[in-house]
Amino acid sequence: MTLRVRRSTRAGIAAVTVCVALASCGVGADPVQNPELSEDEVTITLNWWGADARTQSTLDVIELFEEEYPNINVEAQYSDWTGYWDRLATTTAAGDMPDVTQFDELYLASYAERGALLDLSSVSNILDPSAVDANVLDSGRVDGTLYAVPTGATTNGILINTTLFEQYGVEVPDTTSWTWDDFEEAATELSEASDGEVHGISPFGQDSFSLNVWARQHGGELFDAEGDLVLDPEVLAAYWQRALDWIDSGAAPSVGEISETMNLPLDQSSLVTGQAAMGFIPAGQFLAYQSAGPDFDYALANWPTDSDTAEGFQYLKPTMYWSAASTTEHPAEAALLIHFLANDTRVAESFGLDRGEPGNPAFREAVEPLLDESGRESLAFTEAMSEEVGDTPPITPNGASNIGSGLLGRYYQQVLFGESSPEEAAEGFLNELGDSITAAG
Amino acid sequence: MSALGEFRSLSRSRSKAGSADHREKNRDNKAAAVFLAPWVIGLVGITLGPMIASLYLAFTDYNLLQDPQFTGLDNIRRMFSDERLAQSLKVTFTYVIVSVPLQLAVALGLALLLDRGIRGLPLYRSILYLPSLLGASVAIAVLWRLVFGTEGLVNAFLAIFGIEGPGWVSDPDTALGTIIILHVWTFGAPMVIFLAGLRQIPRELYEAAATDGASRPKQLFSITLPLLSPIIFFNLVLGLIGSFQSFTQAYIVSNGTGGPSDSTLFFSLYLYQEGFTSFRMGYASALAWLLLIIIGAFTALNFWASKYWVFYND
Amino acid sequence: MTDALTTTRRPEPTPGIPAPNRSLAARGRPARRRIISVLKHTGLIIICLLMLYPLLWMIASSLRPNSDIFTSSGLFIDTFDFDHYPTGWDALAYPFSTYLLNSFLVVLGSVIGNLISCSMAAYAFARLRFRFRGLAFVAMLIAIMLPIHVLIIPQYVFYAQLGWINTYLPLILPKFLATDAFFIFLMVQFIRGIPRELDEAARIDGAGHARIYGQIMLPLMVPALATAAIFTFIWTWNDFFTQLIFVTKPDLYTVPVALRSFIDAQTTSDFGAMFAMSVVSLIPVFLVFLFGQRFLLRGIATTGGK
Repeated sequence: MTLRVRRSTRAGIAAVTVCVALASCGVGADPVQNPELSEDEVTITLNWWGADARTQSTLDVIELFEEEYPNINVEAQYSDWTGYWDRLATTTAAGDMPDVTQFDELYLASYAERGALLDLSSVSNILDPSAVDANVLDSGRVDGTLYAVPTGATTNGILINTTLFEQYGVEVPDTTSWTWDDFEEAATELSEASDGEVHGISPFGQDSFSLNVWARQHGGELFDAEGDLVLDPEVLAAYWQRALDWIDSGAAPSVGEISETMNLPLDQSSLVTGQAAMGFIPAGQFLAYQSAGPDFDYALANWPTDSDTAEGFQYLKPTMYWSAASTTEHPAEAALLIHFLANDTRVAESFGLDRGEPGNPAFREAVEPLLDESGRESLAFTEAMSEEVGDTPPITPNGASNIGSGLLGRYYQQVLFGESSPEEAAEGFLNELGDSITAAG
Repeated sequence: MSALGEFRSLSRSRSKAGSADHREKNRDNKAAAVFLAPWVIGLVGITLGPMIASLYLAFTDYNLLQDPQFTGLDNIRRMFSDERLAQSLKVTFTYVIVSVPLQLAVALGLALLLDRGIRGLPLYRSILYLPSLLGASVAIAVLWRLVFGTEGLVNAFLAIFGIEGPGWVSDPDTALGTIIILHVWTFGAPMVIFLAGLRQIPRELYEAAATDGASRPKQLFSITLPLLSPIIFFNLVLGLIGSFQSFTQAYIVSNGTGGPSDSTLFFSLYLYQEGFTSFRMGYASALAWLLLIIIGAFTALNFWASKYWVFYND
Repeated sequence: MTDALTTTRRPEPTPGIPAPNRSLAARGRPARRRIISVLKHTGLIIICLLMLYPLLWMIASSLRPNSDIFTSSGLFIDTFDFDHYPTGWDALAYPFSTYLLNSFLVVLGSVIGNLISCSMAAYAFARLRFRFRGLAFVAMLIAIMLPIHVLIIPQYVFYAQLGWINTYLPLILPKFLATDAFFIFLMVQFIRGIPRELDEAARIDGAGHARIYGQIMLPLMVPALATAAIFTFIWTWNDFFTQLIFVTKPDLYTVPVALRSFIDAQTTSDFGAMFAMSVVSLIPVFLVFLFGQRFLLRGIATTGGK
């Protein structure tokens, strides 16, 4: 069905463009069930975002795959994050989506619900994702259908620059059972000890991951299973109010400095430049922070809690996914490549923790011996957290992908610069996001 | 000179003859068909199709991944209640009205200064053009944040005088102003065009004027500016078209968000966000045509006004 | 501004140009002239420093350890690190020379295309009286008033139907078809600055439009052609979006796309290498400008108008 619709779109635009009616390709049909691998030479495309290191390791994996299956030729396609989504939208709109595509949680439902992705159950004769932990794998489902295999998942955590604490003679707080007050106290103390040179907290306020964890600490959630927005405006207002409180108490830097470091690449974040000592990060990025700031020693801790904090507020957020295009001419080979990426431990050895802490236990085992100290620390943290995590919430629904590309940050800035109160901003944000979801629905 | 005058009167007398005139027009039509052939092929084959497609999409709900649904005037109705659209218009108009004249004035001033045969001209010209060479790379984005940051170079300079500057690109009050300064700073392109235009002015005219005892300012206003007016006009028209579509600078400075809190939400940036990050390409197309109407109106106004101040040699 | 203009006028650096106002300049007292000249140069040098700063900073950053880049906006380098150049050159899937070469191909095609097609169209608009001239001119300008972001998808569909994705045709061919109205309009303005007597004289001699265009107009519009060539070079060299969309095979990537693939916002990236390659990629554009600007000086003032 989707195939037919997409083709007619393409033909429609092309007809206008070329002014030549195209031979109708209304073949259409549901995806072929259990397609067979071809004996002939087949070329498929693998598409990902990332920088040079990831490019290199992925090219190595492609080579392994091609050695294993000599008749399949895998073409690489890659770019930086923003260029990636612009290009993917364009090629998909033209019915030219790459066969296998790396996906992010933000966009998965948007593409899946609109029929761009292959239902992976149709290739279950080739692709067996069962090695991936079940609760991680579930995050690849949209409305119960598996569209993507997660590479891994991570909880949120608090990154602590212990070097800064030492430098200014402030004791690193005991993080095993810390409260929000402990957290703020330590931060304020550090800001004061450094005479404002550094600040204790780089606050949250603009990323949906920390917002979701915050909501779960208060017994709420961003989206329900139907993909509807269910966040309580008061919880959101309190989230921003907390950031304002930190700024007021001096625990966090000035509004100007916070605004300045928003949306910056990891390398330029205040946690790496040493301007802030503690911040909220996806725990899987710990290794990246440590290697970006080699002059500092970082530690990772769970979020502070209060006595009334809900249990199981942490959850496993999928890092990335592999998915296939519904328009692929080679569903069998695409499925085979995803199967390889999700199951062959040599892939894990090549990727390390670059695509998140693996969701496949065999991968974790394969990776562990190759890691340095901070890599093991990171893995151990996730391991420990997996005892505490609650249910995996539904992924960002169709129509809400802009939450991660500025929507939340825009209202946060209004709060920061005093243009709206946290309550007004929460109201405005929820209305705009809700409208966007309804319109897309 | 006299020989030219002779030719001119000759040709005039020739075109008085009706049949000759007709023949010439015919010849011009034929020649135009040849000279414009590439352009016509390009217009029909490449440019027109996507334009028509986007015009059609402007009346649809199109999320990029599914068939566009015809929705009539919904997108246009939506514009009237769109606060971000209003904000982006405000930002864009401010930007255009301030930065276009400012950049032209700087470019023209420096071009006049450099054209006066100053020692080391090629070196100066190359250096003045440098910022325009840099383009909009990631490297430049990093630099702006360091220069205009709360603890950046600008504020370090101001601190000498005891002034505590804001975070220039991260404060909603100063972000747009900073982008305007950055734009003016890349005056290299109009400056080079002005320089090329100045080269076209026959030196004999200055000689004659000097003999007549005309002063330098008088020469500027009676020779240089009138003869340069087609080029000034060009830079003005294209400067306006370019500034209304301005995208890259704001994209780089705000990381694509138009922030802080929409203070640098340029029209094209908003349109891009709607189309590519919110998957509302139908609405984005409608916005694009609104932009086309605005730019078109300004350009038409410019052409109308040009009758009063632009002088052509022909 | 007028102040500066009322003072000195040195002989033009280009040979063949008379220095008509020497007598006028000589009237000013030498001491005053010198002071004003010094002031003028001082002013220019200060402006030049502002212009040079980003380039110098980029070079400095390419020689710093990665951890220093985001903390120093100054030009002083604590520790030199020359490794960024060799690592940057080989960091991506292909050596950086591949991307430089690809960009050269695209740029070369674009420059040639723009020069030929835009000058032809400009000649027609400026010198020929044909039917629908006004309408055509309006159509030409309207064509550049829509932002690329709403055109890119129909364009992609079109080129995909022709099988041109992953070739440089979508980047180069439009230039041969005069789709850059900017340059047509620019050349029109320049041609209109050329006295009509010149081509009418030739016409009396029996020259057709082809000859007038080729033998009279083109030589006279060298500054405009040079401007168009230089701008096309620089703008194409720096253009990211269309090159990203129409070329998806990494071995065909151009410099701007390659430069972006050094950076990933979610993890740590080799910014030093990116800066080093940014500096490398600036060298060709700077050389082209330095070399090309000689042609900006040629014009009616030196070759014609007699």
